[in-house]
Amino acid sequence: MDSQVWAKLHGASVHFPIAMVLTSALLDLSGNLAPNPGLRVRMQAAGFWTMLVGALGTVPAVVSGLVMTRGVLLGHDQLRLHHLFAWPAFVLIVGTATWRVLALGRGERPLPVSYLGAAGLCAGLVMAAGYFGGELALAN
Amino acid sequence: MRTPSKPESNGKALAVAVLLATGAAASAFGLSLALRRASARTSHQLPTPEAWVLNEVSPTPETVAQGRKVFLASCAHCHGADATGDEGPDLHGVEVSDRYIANIITHGIKGEMPSFRKKLGPGDIHMVTAFIRSLEP
Repeated sequence: MDSQVWAKLHGASVHFPIAMVLTSALLDLSGNLAPNPGLRVRMQAAGFWTMLVGALGTVPAVVSGLVMTRGVLLGHDQLRLHHLFAWPAFVLIVGTATWRVLALGRGERPLPVSYLGAAGLCAGLVMAAGYFGGELALAN
Repeated sequence: MRTPSKPESNGKALAVAVLLATGAAASAFGLSLALRRASARTSHQLPTPEAWVLNEVSPTPETVAQGRKVFLASCAHCHGADATGDEGPDLHGVEVSDRYIANIITHGIKGEMPSFRKKLGPGDIHMVTAFIRSLEP
């Protein structure tokens, strides 16, 4: 397959984890602030699943991106900026989702601030990576 | 409903999370390495036997400067203005012969690089080669 096909596959696959991770962070934060415990449980259960599928979604996004660029880890200019956010986002999302699944559950009790901070950082990094990825797509 | 996790299980989960995240990073690095190796093969960047015996262009400041002008006009679009690669490969420290470089510039690489036969003459190719030779690995 030529690089154009991989570029299209990368474009098709990146939006899913971006949306999932952002939604998860928002749901978990809103859940912690919710006055009603029932509402908190429901929101953080949704936050659990969106973080989990978001983390799974990073795999096709990373693989298609790497194949598209023939293995470039950093690159130059906008691509470098994209990667400087994308790689930490990938690693942090995998770690945060693992932590959530193994120890923090689906909203049985309020999430610790440290987790909310990590999820917020994931959301910030993935947004920045998406922004510079968008700049690259517009430039080409 | 799950029972709330104990602090020690949270610690173990964090350790597993760090391990898995490190594994993810290592996997991405490994895939990148494999892809770059494959790309180097398909982009004809591996050393060629004639590179050991043929005389190479000896870059002078003049030919390098002229070659850089030709490079910026014809090659930088794909190889990057600093020749460290973009769409095309990094040209620093190439270990192929001058004849090989001239051949690639003249005929191109099917599906990867266009032919510059009509755009660049032998003098241009000589200067571009001098510029490429001046690039430190």
